[in-house]
Amino acid sequence: MGFHKICVIVGLVALAHAAYSAAQHRAYLRLTEQEFTRLPWDILVQSLASLVLTCYGVVHVAGKFKEICASAELDNKTWDTLSNRQAFYSFNHRGRALYEER
Amino acid sequence: METLNYACVITIENLVHFRRELLLSTMSNTRWEDARDQLRKIREEQIRDGLLVVQLWEDTLCDHIHKLGDEMWVVQEQVAIAALDCSRLDIADECREKLNANFPHSNRVKRLEGMVHEAAGEYEEALKLYSEILKDDPTYTLARKRQIAIYKGQNNIEKAIEMLNDYLKTFMTDFDAWMELCDLYLCKQEYSKACFCMEELIMSNPQNHLFHQKYAEIKYTQGGIENMESARAYFGQAAKLNPNSMRAHLGLLLSSIALSKKDPNNSKYAAWAAQQITDKYQTQETKEQIKETKVLESIQNMLAMLTSGN
Repeated sequence: MGFHKICVIVGLVALAHAAYSAAQHRAYLRLTEQEFTRLPWDILVQSLASLVLTCYGVVHVAGKFKEICASAELDNKTWDTLSNRQAFYSFNHRGRALYEER
Repeated sequence: METLNYACVITIENLVHFRRELLLSTMSNTRWEDARDQLRKIREEQIRDGLLVVQLWEDTLCDHIHKLGDEMWVVQEQVAIAALDCSRLDIADECREKLNANFPHSNRVKRLEGMVHEAAGEYEEALKLYSEILKDDPTYTLARKRQIAIYKGQNNIEKAIEMLNDYLKTFMTDFDAWMELCDLYLCKQEYSKACFCMEELIMSNPQNHLFHQKYAEIKYTQGGIENMESARAYFGQAAKLNPNSMRAHLGLLLSSIALSKKDPNNSKYAAWAAQQITDKYQTQETKEQIKETKVLESIQNMLAMLTSGN
């Protein structure tokens, strides 16, 4: 398995873990009858870091990106491919004389 | 003259023979996976190379066809059409029968049968088959295109143009057909009508440098100052869209030189295009090759004439 796939899995697990921790924290506050002000730093940092890690992994797993410039794909097309249209092939050409098995 | 013709025939036959030998020697131990990938690439990039496809099929792929899975049917269609290009009707028939056994009522297979008839020169039967398909499914565009291709193959260009125009009335967004119509008009030297087709194509995809290129070349062929001016503009646009296009730069050079008497600015464009072409030659070729290339020399001559003329 590639490094980037591992990144995605670790990132997703860490995100889920951060969510679970946050729920745990709320439960703990309710039991000890304290006011909720904000999440503890470690949970915040964990969720942000795992988000970044997942994004990084997904971007690499998704495959090659297309060029943003619309004409980039067409640069490799040559003059010959322009006039090659499969639907209109005609077989009345030199192939008959040249390639026929004799 | 006759001996000359004879000599030409021999060299072309030798060339074909040579190419076949070359293909055989490079393919003698191709793995079937490589052959499959090569065929896939040919399909995607729409390259017309019947000989290569047939060789790949005969030497490697035809013994491993069952390993291809569902791709097998597309490959067989591809090989059949390639075989028709090489007049190997035996291979084409074999593939067509296998396809027919698997898809007995398919119009696509029927169309392939028609194409086999076409390659054998039996145009009447092919036409009958296509009109049967169209009776069954009037929206089956591929059969209509085959009818047009038959008239083209018989060199009955007027009839082909008429049918294609009729077809385009219904299927206005079929850009392959517009392209074909453009080429048919070019056969008949009806440049302004060909230009109209190219305009449609440019509107469909303004990013495609080849459309601009072709439009410019038609305008250049038409001649006259106005046409030459638009040719220069479109060559320029083609060069802008694809800075690696030699054809566009050469076109820009020639059209600017032709216009230089009218507007001195054009000499600047010509000089710029010449510079671009020279740069490309110098980065792509070795010094010895450049010495043998006469192109750069003739470009220099053209520019020299331009400056002395003014």
